[in-house]
Amino acid sequence: MRFTTLDRLKAWLDHLAQEADLIAPREVDGHVLYRRVASADEVLLEYERPELSAKEFLFPATEVILRVEQKGKDVALEEVLPERQQVLFGVRPCDAHGLAVIDALFLHQDPPDRYYQHHRERTVLVGVACERMWEGCFCVSIGGGPTDATHLDVLVRPGTEGGFFLQPVTPKGVAVLEGLEVAEPRGEPRPVEEYNPPVPVAASEKWRALFEEHRFWMRHGERCLSCRICTYVCPACRCFDLTDRVVDVRSGVTRIERLRAWDACTSPNYRRVAGGHNPRPTNWERLRNRFMCKFCYYPDDFGPRGCVGCGRCIVSCPVDIDITEVMQDVARR
Amino acid sequence: MSDIETLTHQLREEARRLLSEKRVDCVMGYEVGPRGRIRPAFLYDPAEADHLVWGPGCVHNLVTYLHNKKKPRRRGEEPPRVAVVVKPCDSRALNILFAERQVERERVFVIGMVCEGVVGPDGRPAAKCGRCTDRTPVVYDVLLGNPPSVEPAPDDWSDLARIEAMTSAERLAFWLRQFDRCIRCYACRQVCPGCYCPTCAFERDDSLWVDMGIEVPQKYVFHLGRAFHLAGRCVECDECERVCPMGLPLSLLNRCLVREIEALYGHRAGRQEALTPMLFELGPEGSPI
Amino acid sequence: MARVTNPMRPYLGRLVGVRDLATGIKLFQVELLEPEGRAAFADYRPGQFAFVSAFGAGEAPFGLTSTPARGPWLEFAVNAIGHVTHTLHTLDVGDPVGVRGPLGNWFPMDQLRGKNIVILGGGIGGAPLRPVIQTILDHREEYGHLTILWAARSPDLLIFTEEFDEWRAAWATELHVTVDQAGPGWTGNVGLITQLLEKVAPSPENAVAITCGPPIMIHFVFLTLKKLGFAPEQMLTTLEARMHCGIGKCGRCNLGEKFICTDGPVFWQYEIAGFLEGFL
Repeated sequence: MRFTTLDRLKAWLDHLAQEADLIAPREVDGHVLYRRVASADEVLLEYERPELSAKEFLFPATEVILRVEQKGKDVALEEVLPERQQVLFGVRPCDAHGLAVIDALFLHQDPPDRYYQHHRERTVLVGVACERMWEGCFCVSIGGGPTDATHLDVLVRPGTEGGFFLQPVTPKGVAVLEGLEVAEPRGEPRPVEEYNPPVPVAASEKWRALFEEHRFWMRHGERCLSCRICTYVCPACRCFDLTDRVVDVRSGVTRIERLRAWDACTSPNYRRVAGGHNPRPTNWERLRNRFMCKFCYYPDDFGPRGCVGCGRCIVSCPVDIDITEVMQDVARR
Repeated sequence: MSDIETLTHQLREEARRLLSEKRVDCVMGYEVGPRGRIRPAFLYDPAEADHLVWGPGCVHNLVTYLHNKKKPRRRGEEPPRVAVVVKPCDSRALNILFAERQVERERVFVIGMVCEGVVGPDGRPAAKCGRCTDRTPVVYDVLLGNPPSVEPAPDDWSDLARIEAMTSAERLAFWLRQFDRCIRCYACRQVCPGCYCPTCAFERDDSLWVDMGIEVPQKYVFHLGRAFHLAGRCVECDECERVCPMGLPLSLLNRCLVREIEALYGHRAGRQEALTPMLFELGPEGSPI
Repeated sequence: MARVTNPMRPYLGRLVGVRDLATGIKLFQVELLEPEGRAAFADYRPGQFAFVSAFGAGEAPFGLTSTPARGPWLEFAVNAIGHVTHTLHTLDVGDPVGVRGPLGNWFPMDQLRGKNIVILGGGIGGAPLRPVIQTILDHREEYGHLTILWAARSPDLLIFTEEFDEWRAAWATELHVTVDQAGPGWTGNVGLITQLLEKVAPSPENAVAITCGPPIMIHFVFLTLKKLGFAPEQMLTTLEARMHCGIGKCGRCNLGEKFICTDGPVFWQYEIAGFLEGFL
């Protein structure tokens, strides 16, 4: 465990911003978001839960995965893999847990996703512990916690008497701390002020047993707007769509990009096949799939549950669909 | 003066009656969730009628859910008959859907609520209520509530002042900044009663107008395109702005066009029952309509 | 030349053959240009699929509609129904395409040896079944009786009609064709494939039935086969579900906890019966 002062932490962040792409919580027009920062001054050190998770820096919302150049009948392909090192500072433990959930599929299921694997390799996760659980948070119920260092490279904890305690967790974490000037420790890591009530997490079989109960899912899902808010703010959701776009046609050369972009199983045409058939035509069937995927399919297929208890979906759903309410209903049965 | 308790009671009685007499298959209204938040409710059983609530927290425009009730539950059956609880702003959307033949008037039982305003998530009155010209729904089968104590407010378009004060360059910079925060979640489109295309023009597999990238150019086209597709149809319920997780001031876009349409054609969407949508009307020679 | 494996990167290919199969349906023959591509496709099996890229439009999954034994070119039957497929239809011999694969599981031909096989193909659904027919014909003595039921909405939508004679001519092989709606000059059966199936009534004795077509057809064919005495472990199908990545990552093709691209697309009926989520 190391300790440093605010000034030295900021000097280190400034140094990181020079050496690599530094991503940190930033204020953007009244919203707190993880964004690229140019200096330590832009970094928020007091914040709640950034409104989007950190996954977009390893699994971008829009990613060019191939560049294609076509000249006449000849085609050349190029993969797009940015080289620069990336340091994510201020990552909340739930967001790091979300990446571990995505790892279970994108890395540990063959074949690994080349792009995500590359971003994982070029990224260091420096987390900052939460001093309390925020509105909607239930990370502890899913095996995480406000001070959980498990999926981070470094965990930073603000001290009771100012300054910051830094705990390297991995060799990458040790390496990224090399540029940090430490100080004589004072005080202790701030304890967690408040925990939210626990939420029961039923086993996969219990969810499976409820699949055919349409009224159960309609009660929770009929008001669903089939937007993508919950999926996009979620640290663990990973569905994507693919398409090509023509970027440029010039001097007989057509430049094309193959994109992948975030997608959501809640969206109406998600499972519509070319012939027109849609096996999930209603909003509540799609919402059922969302919850079943998180608590039944994903853990059955890949190991971890597809939810980390960050609570973002709860606070951002415009029609008050509450994952913990569904979890409690399932557990009660 | 309408009393919330009285209105809630009357609403529950109405729902109970409609369902037990099988006048409708479903009543769409509002209920309170375990967290104390008000949310849309779908009632199928008269015994559920007491779930319904009414009050300033009933902000959602339920008319959009009528698009989910167009098809019969089982093949060979009739499409469901639905009762819907509407505020004045919501009711304007009904006129649009009727005029555009999306919903048959006979299949909808409209429970109109006299409304003195709703509140935002912070508990403060919603901006739209400060300029509400209706207070009483413009279409209903039953009206609950007495004439409101708060008179309809004149609409002076003061909400658009901040945009009007900007130069073109400033407006572009303003909107690009907003769209940068947009995550293309489509919540604005999904909540809107006027957006019901089975395949949205901006979500086509062939990327005809925009591709699926969540980048500023595509979001820019989506938002402006959607605003234009709503020109003459937007009823200013402001739901798009309410649901946006990134706080985009979307009502500014729509309201700008509402004002243009009113100035050009003397038309304001949804205020009256219309036989045809505004853009389908051909007026006499020389007139804008 | 070693290349870091990227399952999302297509192999380069070139169209060496394009011909009309039916109204709106073309057969594409693709020559793989890179040694890695040729190696990857050296040994693909009946039932597997590949993503074909129309560069600039995107990719779409297609059943591999022939076998390595039948020739070095990959063959795909493409129904022009969406953006990628319409773009593919604008291409001609010599044009470049991309190919990713082979993906998915395959029909268990070794388990089918010695059995009587019933093949039911509806419309474009016949495409992934053609390699099964070809494999049986190329190893005819290893399989029992072969009954092929082939259907389409109308005569102009029947695919591989020019191969009907070859199929009929094989030992212990019969072909029955039907259309939902007759066209001018049609003298064959008129009616749904399920009606034809009841008429032909193949015996379930030592038999396996393999079907592919629109979801609703698969559903009713299963019911009809059951009526004829076929057990769930005697019925196979191959499903499609708007796959996007084909490698089990994008989430698109899930049926409950199963992914059509990696757990399938070939499934026994008893597997499907146990699925949490139906394909219909």
